[in-house]
Amino acid sequence: MFVLEKPLPRPTEDSAPYWEAARREELRLQKCQDCGHVRFPPSLLCPRCLSERAEWVRTSGRGTVYSFIVVHRPQHPAFQPDAPYNVAIVELEEGPRLHTNLVEVENSEIEIGMPVEVVFEKVNDEVTLPKFRPRRTENPGER
Amino acid sequence: MVFSGKYSIVGVGCSRFGKIQGVSTMGFTLEAAKRALEDAGLGRDEVDGVLVLMPAVMGEQHGWASRVASFLGIEPTFCATMDLGGATACAMAQTAAAAIEAGYCRTVLCCFATQNWPQGVELRLFGSEFQVPYGDVGAMTFMAHLKRRQQYEWGYPDEVYGTIAVTWRRHAQQNPEAQMRKPMSLEDYFASRWVVEPLRLFDCCPNTDGGGAFVVTSTERGRDLAKPPVRILGAGQSHSSEIIRPAGASDSHWGGKKAAEQVYRSAGVGPTDLSFAQIYDAFTPRVVHDVVAYGFCAPHEVADFVLEGNLDFGGRLPSNTAGGLLSEGHLSGFGHVREAVRQLRGECGPRQVPNAELGLVTGYGGAPHEAPPTVSYSALVLAR
Ligand SMILES: [Zn+2]
Repeated sequence: MFVLEKPLPRPTEDSAPYWEAARREELRLQKCQDCGHVRFPPSLLCPRCLSERAEWVRTSGRGTVYSFIVVHRPQHPAFQPDAPYNVAIVELEEGPRLHTNLVEVENSEIEIGMPVEVVFEKVNDEVTLPKFRPRRTENPGER
Repeated sequence: MVFSGKYSIVGVGCSRFGKIQGVSTMGFTLEAAKRALEDAGLGRDEVDGVLVLMPAVMGEQHGWASRVASFLGIEPTFCATMDLGGATACAMAQTAAAAIEAGYCRTVLCCFATQNWPQGVELRLFGSEFQVPYGDVGAMTFMAHLKRRQQYEWGYPDEVYGTIAVTWRRHAQQNPEAQMRKPMSLEDYFASRWVVEPLRLFDCCPNTDGGGAFVVTSTERGRDLAKPPVRILGAGQSHSSEIIRPAGASDSHWGGKKAAEQVYRSAGVGPTDLSFAQIYDAFTPRVVHDVVAYGFCAPHEVADFVLEGNLDFGGRLPSNTAGGLLSEGHLSGFGHVREAVRQLRGECGPRQVPNAELGLVTGYGGAPHEAPPTVSYSALVLAR
């Protein structure tokens, strides 16, 4: 009855390319080939112009912390050993905001507006989770 | 749609509620429905419309509303299961009135229940592949981000949130049915543990097992029933896809503000005409958002507005007079509708707002833990 393993993403037809890119340690998002809008989460249509023409572009991997919280009482028991842990919303340079965890930083040191860059955490052969750390490099997406 | 008071809520009821095991979700739904019909003085044979809120824990259950009707032994000509979370109760009254206006039915039973056990709310898995793997599970994390951004952008001190929780708790002490009646001070608020920082325990409502219901029919017909009809003067709703655009944010979508404009326009009243408000308050930052969106004050005035006691009895807008979701219990907004109706009938005893003529009820819900997080806002203006 108790599910003690952390829930992992189960890619859909829409999201599979996102997770495949993450496995290759690339943060890729859909970019509309008609209006240029970079969107997240993945979907068939551009929410700005309803175009179906999109390409999966590699993002800069850079962003800033838009918001962060510290979970002391997880709503899922599998995360209990990690508590207190942070969940952040990172606003990418390309615009979209992603929920993520910030790593290589103390929870008490996190601030809104902090520059961050993507890092990849391999969970198993199928799943790699994009996470973020305080920014160190000029252009992490091109590493 | 302008109803102009043509349709009314004529009966309200709740099942037993609190931490209650041994009653199914369906059982609570039927219990609430029966009490609302009894309150209205209506037989089940007079109900020909049924609306039911899909409880979040129900997952793959199908035909929920028609099954509720079937268990009540009625065969409605209009039936729908709605899924706007905590925004559903207010939206249901609007849908019910619209269905009667359209001629689909004459009397609509609106109901809801939830039973958090035996599954246990902690074990429920939400769908989002983009949030849950990061340990971002449940509505609480979304609301913690809302409070974080409110405080970052507007500098609201924690006393604002604590004062809301403490005020509601005091109101709950005048409500014998309330789930949380233990006296609470601001010191207790500050001493309560972090659940999801910056949310403390007392920023959050309890889980509640139980259900609520109300009955909508024409005001004309309502005049022959057991209690005075409470007129639906106006209704509004709006829906948005947001990744954290809280009240006060410079790029805020202000979903609630659209619902506010619609509810006031359709009712032909404004925020200063209200006798009281029942504000959707599963978490304290929701109240801060609605105080702004529904026009009680500007974003930079929130701290003073709350700290001066304007949401308390004797203030500019007595609110959540039964204790709100935070202290009365989380009945997904059905408790708010019931309390508003009771206030307008003058049935509230020690917590009665004097000369209550017009009341606002707000709702909020949706799928904040999916990607993209989507939220629904709804509101009613009810009149004596
Ligand atoms: Zn486009």
